[in-house]
Amino acid sequence: MTSQFLMALSLPEAAHNILAYTAFTFYIVLIISGGLVAALSRILVRALVGLAVTFLGVAGLYLLLASPFLAFMQLLIYVGAICILIFFAIMLVKNTGSGEEMRLPGLGQITGALIAALTPLALFGPLIVLNTNGTAELPIITPLMEIGSGLLSYYILPFELISIVLLVAMTGSIFLAWDKRFKK
Amino acid sequence: MISPLILFMLSALLLLALGLLGLISRRTLVGMLISVELLLNGAGLSVVAAAQLTPASNAAGQLATIFIMGLAAAEATLVLAMIIVIHRRFETVETKALATLKDSPL
Repeated sequence: MTSQFLMALSLPEAAHNILAYTAFTFYIVLIISGGLVAALSRILVRALVGLAVTFLGVAGLYLLLASPFLAFMQLLIYVGAICILIFFAIMLVKNTGSGEEMRLPGLGQITGALIAALTPLALFGPLIVLNTNGTAELPIITPLMEIGSGLLSYYILPFELISIVLLVAMTGSIFLAWDKRFKK
Repeated sequence: MISPLILFMLSALLLLALGLLGLISRRTLVGMLISVELLLNGAGLSVVAAAQLTPASNAAGQLATIFIMGLAAAEATLVLAMIIVIHRRFETVETKALATLKDSPL
């Protein structure tokens, strides 16, 4: 849990642990509060801000897991790109003030949502607590070169497939959003 | 002391639960999109935690999460386009109102 960033501070072992658990608690509080706002807020822009806070918390957890590259990717892709995309979606759609989201969902919907949220918690929570045994060793930072060479050698097929998926998705969305404009 | 892997897995599970909660309780497509991003984030977090805190290959776990991020970007773009098209046609993105196949309302 103690990441290598804290190792560099040359503090005693106990201080590492305390610092790491403090950081973990801070990030988990970010995740929980942001996630609750994102899932439950009746105002979509507010939900989006909650989502961005959750993304920041998850980026912090990536740092604690000794994968700084992923933390930067998380900030770039999620906070930088996807949040902006969702903000466009909110702005382009009539959704302000007294929008559809303002009315509370019905009782059945709330019950369904609670069941859907609690079932995985009840199923997987005990499984995780009882059956998980990770190594006691600290996670090490994977050199970026290893990730890059893996991307171009062993994992080249998923890499190419992701490129195709991205290409198709982008062309498809441009095509979808554009065609009516030419007819008018 | 609780194993760190358990803590990270539980936080990923929490993201899954929050995402599902939002996905079902939302009324509009934009709100559902926000919840789906929560779900995908939980998936990425659990994969990285499982790779970094067990003897499994670290590079594989990080690459899997990068692929998840790429998929999330593609998905968000497509859903944005779909939301725009649906908004043009139905003048709303409320899920209950979208009950039309071709021209006949169901």
